[in-house]
Amino acid sequence: MADHEKRSKVSIEDLLRLKQAERPSAEFWAGFERELRQKQLSALVEKRSWWHSLPQIFSRRVYLPIGATAILTFSLVSIRYYQPSQVVPVESTAAAPVSSFSEAPMTSSIASNPVPVSSPLVNRADHALVQAEARSESLVATPSSAEVALGSPSPDDSIATISPSARTIAANLSHLEQSDPELINAVSGSRLSSPGRSQISTVAVADLSNLPLGNAKRVRLLAHYSDRPVSAEPVAPDSVRERLSRRLGDSDLNDRWSRFGLKGDKVSLRF
Amino acid sequence: MNLSKVFTKAIVSSPERQQEADVDFSIVKRVQAGEVAAFDQLILKYRERLFGVVYNLTSNREDASDLTQDAFIKAFQSINRFQGNCSFFTWLYKIALNTTLSHLRKNRLRTFFSLEKLHEEGTNAQILEQLTDKKGADRETYLKELQQKLNEALQKLSIPHRTVITLFEIDGLSHSEIAQVVGCSEGTVRSRLHYAKQFLQGEMGKYLSS
Repeated sequence: MADHEKRSKVSIEDLLRLKQAERPSAEFWAGFERELRQKQLSALVEKRSWWHSLPQIFSRRVYLPIGATAILTFSLVSIRYYQPSQVVPVESTAAAPVSSFSEAPMTSSIASNPVPVSSPLVNRADHALVQAEARSESLVATPSSAEVALGSPSPDDSIATISPSARTIAANLSHLEQSDPELINAVSGSRLSSPGRSQISTVAVADLSNLPLGNAKRVRLLAHYSDRPVSAEPVAPDSVRERLSRRLGDSDLNDRWSRFGLKGDKVSLRF
Repeated sequence: MNLSKVFTKAIVSSPERQQEADVDFSIVKRVQAGEVAAFDQLILKYRERLFGVVYNLTSNREDASDLTQDAFIKAFQSINRFQGNCSFFTWLYKIALNTTLSHLRKNRLRTFFSLEKLHEEGTNAQILEQLTDKKGADRETYLKELQQKLNEALQKLSIPHRTVITLFEIDGLSHSEIAQVVGCSEGTVRSRLHYAKQFLQGEMGKYLSS
């Protein structure tokens, strides 16, 4: 009965308060301190992983506008100068006369060679200029090709098998010249007059008759008429190269760089 | 003044607590300034209380020892991030609690008790006197059994309920302090406390009533 009375006075709070009396001994604390000291020292020596410092890096707000501006600038520059590589469509300048040549299945012109231009540094205007110049040069060069193909066949070189496209174009142009010389004059008149063209054609015939026609015949012809050094690879016209070099020049870059301004924690961009 | 600091001032309402918080903050400033040895003062001051909380949550003295050490190491490593928005004591409790809860979640299935010795002194002696009139070996066995049953009952509680009742009944934190440490409202703290007490009364009924 006495035991029951005693127990009934004890509450759950009292029982839980007993838990406060569960304390470790002094030896435990000595060991605890030793272990903690070791851990503390190893924590001081241990190099923390890079991601632990990320919150501190991002907490420095000054980096955010700079980073954002850099990304924005890069995006703008990329959008402005990016041009996906594209193939210039094949020009079928005179489809009807080609059909008369049974051994000339190819109808592509010299200028219609694919010109992949994907560099962000090359402008669309430059690309267009390259195409236009190549096209006009093909018009200049074709009369001689026509004469080569039709008038003076080489005895040992089979021209038809080496460059059927050149032969086709030459045939087309000669046909066009006969049928509509005014059109030819109108197209190529800005570059070369008719007597000059015929003179060049004569020289070209003479030269080409002596030259063994190889794989780079087209390039050599172009090089000859534009007074450029002969090379196996196609060379961009001087005006294009000059323009490109001007675009890549220091002065132009400096001019663009001067559009960005940094005042305090703000970045200004002039367009 | 910062709103969180106003809130902290309201929580640390008693002048003793406020004074304690100010002293702690001055020590923390010294540690932040490079005086690493000053951190030992904080360790000596809070190690027993921190160990008590972790021990009552885990019911394992080895785990409690490791987790308390880990909490101090984490606090030491992050001391530069302590801005004084809350008291150092609250901040340290949060770290210890998160470390312990993470450990408990990882080792949910492992329940191994290794209990500390029960010190019979002061009010505890009176409570124990009320609980048993046995003497000698019988008394020792009875207290061991009581201790074990109480720990088992605590371990049956969910982690949030166990945390609340440990901080309130054993460590003596107020509702608002618990709310800040745990990160919930005072109402939630009261609700959890009520449920936990009811549960423990049911479990420990044999020792509380006839």
